[in-house]
Amino acid sequence: MDEEQIANFVSAYLKKKGFKETEQAFQDELRHNKTNSSSSASSIDLDFAKRLLSFSEVENIPARYLEGYSKLRSWAYNSLDLYKHELLRVLYPVFIHCFMDLVAKGHIQEARTFFNRFREDHEMLHLRDLQKLEGVLSPSHLEEMEFAHSLRQSKVNIKICQYSYEMLLQYLHKTQTTVILGIINERINFQVFPGQPSSISDDAELVTLSGSTQETANQINKKEVQWGLLEDSLEERLEKAAGLLSDSEKAEVETKDGDVDENKKRTTEGGKQGASIKKVKKDKTAGAPGKTLRAEANSASMAPRVKPELALPIITTEVEQSILEDLRNRVQLSSVALPSVSFYTFINTHNGLNCSSISHDGALVAGGFSDSSLKVWDMAKLGQQAGNTVLQDENDMSTSDPVTGHTSGKRSYTLFQGHSGPVHSATFSPIGDFVLSSSADTTIRLWSTKLNASLVCYKGHNYPVWDVQFSPVGHYFASCSHDRTARIWSMDRIQPLRIMAGHLSDVDCVQWHANCNYIATGSSDKTVRLWDVQSGECVRIFIGHRSMILSLAMSPDGRFMASGDEDGTIMMWDLSTGRCVTPLIGHTSCVWSLAFSCEGSLLASGSADCTVKLWDVTSSTKPPRTDENKSGTANRLRSLKTLPTKSTPVYSLRFSRRNLLFAAGALSKSASTA
Amino acid sequence: MSIVPKENVEVIAQCIGINNLSPDVALAVAPDVEYRLREIMQEAIKCMRHSKRTTLTADDVDGALNLRNVEPMYGFASGGPLRFKRAIGHRDLFYLEDKDLEFKDVIDAPLPKAPLDTAVFCHWLAIEGVQPAIPENAPVEVILPPSDVKINEQKEGLPVDIKLPVKHILSKELQLYFDKITELVVSRSNSVLFKKALVSLSTDSGLHPLVPYFTCFIADEVARGLGDYSLLFALMRVVWSLLQNPHIHIEPYLHQMMPSVVTCLVAKRLGNRLSDNHWELRDFTAKVVALICKRFGHVYNTLQTKLTKTLLNAFLDPKRSLTQHYGAVQGLAALGMNVVHLLVLPNLEPYLRFLEPEMLLASQKNEMKRHEVWRVYGALLRAVGQYIYDRVKIFPPLPSTLAGSVLRTNAKVITTTFSNKRKSNADQLEGQPPLKKMVIDGPMGVTPTNSSASYMEGTVIPAASGNSNLISPTSSRPTQDEMISGSTSSKGKRDDQILKRSAVLSQVWKEDLNSGKLLTSMLDLFGESMFCFIPSPELSLFL
Repeated sequence: MDEEQIANFVSAYLKKKGFKETEQAFQDELRHNKTNSSSSASSIDLDFAKRLLSFSEVENIPARYLEGYSKLRSWAYNSLDLYKHELLRVLYPVFIHCFMDLVAKGHIQEARTFFNRFREDHEMLHLRDLQKLEGVLSPSHLEEMEFAHSLRQSKVNIKICQYSYEMLLQYLHKTQTTVILGIINERINFQVFPGQPSSISDDAELVTLSGSTQETANQINKKEVQWGLLEDSLEERLEKAAGLLSDSEKAEVETKDGDVDENKKRTTEGGKQGASIKKVKKDKTAGAPGKTLRAEANSASMAPRVKPELALPIITTEVEQSILEDLRNRVQLSSVALPSVSFYTFINTHNGLNCSSISHDGALVAGGFSDSSLKVWDMAKLGQQAGNTVLQDENDMSTSDPVTGHTSGKRSYTLFQGHSGPVHSATFSPIGDFVLSSSADTTIRLWSTKLNASLVCYKGHNYPVWDVQFSPVGHYFASCSHDRTARIWSMDRIQPLRIMAGHLSDVDCVQWHANCNYIATGSSDKTVRLWDVQSGECVRIFIGHRSMILSLAMSPDGRFMASGDEDGTIMMWDLSTGRCVTPLIGHTSCVWSLAFSCEGSLLASGSADCTVKLWDVTSSTKPPRTDENKSGTANRLRSLKTLPTKSTPVYSLRFSRRNLLFAAGALSKSASTA
Repeated sequence: MSIVPKENVEVIAQCIGINNLSPDVALAVAPDVEYRLREIMQEAIKCMRHSKRTTLTADDVDGALNLRNVEPMYGFASGGPLRFKRAIGHRDLFYLEDKDLEFKDVIDAPLPKAPLDTAVFCHWLAIEGVQPAIPENAPVEVILPPSDVKINEQKEGLPVDIKLPVKHILSKELQLYFDKITELVVSRSNSVLFKKALVSLSTDSGLHPLVPYFTCFIADEVARGLGDYSLLFALMRVVWSLLQNPHIHIEPYLHQMMPSVVTCLVAKRLGNRLSDNHWELRDFTAKVVALICKRFGHVYNTLQTKLTKTLLNAFLDPKRSLTQHYGAVQGLAALGMNVVHLLVLPNLEPYLRFLEPEMLLASQKNEMKRHEVWRVYGALLRAVGQYIYDRVKIFPPLPSTLAGSVLRTNAKVITTTFSNKRKSNADQLEGQPPLKKMVIDGPMGVTPTNSSASYMEGTVIPAASGNSNLISPTSSRPTQDEMISGSTSSKGKRDDQILKRSAVLSQVWKEDLNSGKLLTSMLDLFGESMFCFIPSPELSLFL
């Protein structure tokens, strides 16, 4: 390398950067130097100079990205099989950052060709991300789009074994693809671990590019979550009562089931006893309930107890009695004792049914429609006149039944009008006397099923409210919206009590924890978050879904949570660790609804693929308690049963307190073909 | 570079009155348009999901526009899916048809019917985990042997708990339905109602629970009522309808059904009375068998082999009656050309030798018997003819004409029927009237000399058919009188005889295709009568 060349590089560089005067000075000095003919720096190695030169080739940037990436790609694909999958993981972040760099630098055309050339490599795992990024066409879009923005802001964590890491570094140095090297240094955070590479099947470790960085997520997930159940719950009282009963009359209970009258008497007795006993026993440590008849079947009884953080509403004694009665008559479900499913089919919805909800006892069914109406059916009343309407409907679909519908002057349902936009969600209070509905008109409305009237309109969200859910004890409710927040309300205030902000996109669904101290929210940013109701803080982030989350369910023992997404994947999460227990694969389309059976042994899922699936949850959640680490593959959740409906996507599911499963959906002619 | 071409931007700019849009601006706006479009679609998809739908509608797009505080697009809210039309000449360009409507028409039109009001109905999707077979539920899936699930359970060491197959509880409606159908089949299979019933059997979706009952019923009735032709035919039509029904999983019951079906195909006697057209029943049953093999052959590979074995046994056993032979041949023929090739052709020669004496008036005096022989002969003929036809179709260059010619002769045979048959008959009886002899000699004379040179087939075949036409009015009447004088079954016989000629013809072709050796043997077999078919150009071509 002779000096002249260096001088050329320098002057080219200066010229490129527009330092005219410096260039001038440089030239002068050069001339001056030449006359002196003395140089000291002639030993700069060729390599370095070439690299310098490459910096100056401004016109060629896109080509170098393309070349660098394609080289890296072919290298990764040709690497040793053992390490290949680890190296391939590096490709995706490099790919999207190459693309975004190109866009940021204004090479839109080249960015597009680059993107299209390699996109199919990543389509399988990251299709939705790619679809989003595809639209980015100018540097300003990068700023505007929160997804791209968060990608640019954060680093990707990749776990990689020592040897793969060395190979990668070696390759990068050898080939001197500075662009790629730069991206890797800048955007990827390698967590190098010694020893063998991780197994391919380790899905959980797969790179998910979510907005929040893994670190913050980890940090958040370190917070403590009191997932136990409320102390002094009704169930607990019942158990205590049963335990007390069983001590004295165990033999009798076991021998005779036939005598209904006597049983009834005894149970009501037990209820009263339980109610009185609870006051006595209140101070006792609730963590370890005694051996009861139900203890082993009922996992909820194993759960630790926590104090409520909210002031709980008072339950009237009649309601309490009826709930206790239900609990006593509960059917025990397990993998060998499947529930009965009662299906409510909405017909003639004309594509307008947006949501449905079923009350806890299954007697009321609500449907929210895109014409802003909310309709509530009383199934008990419907049963009386079902006879003629069913016949009529089946006999002649085309000729309407205005006769029954109008001349008699009453519809089969109660119509609630008040919203001014499509109703996206509805929920019944635990006792069934109130209904809440949320709408695209940004409001939530409270309706009374007794008075058939709107009571309160809650305004607070700024965008459509996607979901609203009553808390398990009533009185409080949570809502979530397109404005990326979730809010906690109480029925008696028109302002929200808490606002949970943190999701990076729409909050699509919300669910209360069994002990009412937490709510979970699922979002279009593909994460599920758990929030402390009292403090309003995010206490868990669950990362792992590949698409928008549509449904959530909490296990009755408070330990687990299930979430269903747009692709049909359901994930079971352990709230205390924040980790995915196991994914449940089976549905082929959106999972609209999830529900745990009352003792937590079964999970029911309803989907747009027109099926209700029942999953055995005990087999998957029990083993990890004993051996926490590596049993992930062995205990996949089992699908117990698939119940296909007749071209009716399943919109909502509800286990009654007696463990009867209710499902609802709108009959759609096109669903079977779609 | 953007999916929105800059020309579009220019066009739209002109639409809103900006005429002098510089290309640079268009170029800069295009990517942003694309980005906004994508943004709207993303929001629209969210709206769609929150309406619990999987198809995007115009309402969703309006909702998305609302979210962005943009005025929605008016005029597309139809509720239903939009009907796009493909633009002519473009592969992936679609547009919405926008018809001009006269106000007058719209106003004058009668009010449309009020849409039905929404209603909720309740049914049991499952009772203790088992789906009841009621019309509200999707057709129940076949109870499969619990395979992998059970294995897993055992592996995990969990208590294995097998649910016993549930007793089917038939709903009252289904019981009534079944009773009605069976009654129709047994007693009134000619009524219009029965036809309706067949349609219902082939389309109704809630019938699955009845399938086992139907199979039992069919098996019982076939076993009991072999003498009752109309009953058997009705049963076979029921089978056919059940097979047509897309909602029924009939596979598990096939093994129960097949014996009855095969019985109706190859039983010695079907129906008691002479007037019973059991041939037709056999033909129909052959169709049923073919359908079964086509639909389930790939699932149960043993199905077809078993069936063909049964049929072949029936076919080759000389002790069996001719009616059985007929059924077997029809069944084999219905199974396709491969079966014919592998099973029928090799046995053709000995079988024909067995048949030949029976066909002659001289040696077989029993009119009935002879009728049956001709029937079998006709069936064979059709099978082989069909095979040849298919075979010929495979060779593209010659075939077009050739196939046509074969078809033509076949058609001729079936429609006009008279002359050819007479001719062949005459050949065999060696009592050819001179006129006919002459006609036959025409082609014959050519053959020996020209056998190696390729012939224009067009000339030959028309000649043949022309002959027949010529002859039929004049000579055939007398010959017929001569030969089958007083025979009552002449009509059916005639058919067979006609067919025969083309059959021999096709046999010969067949042999030609496969081996010269066979040809010679055939020649030996058929002797003189063979010659008249040799001249066909195909022969020379294949030689």
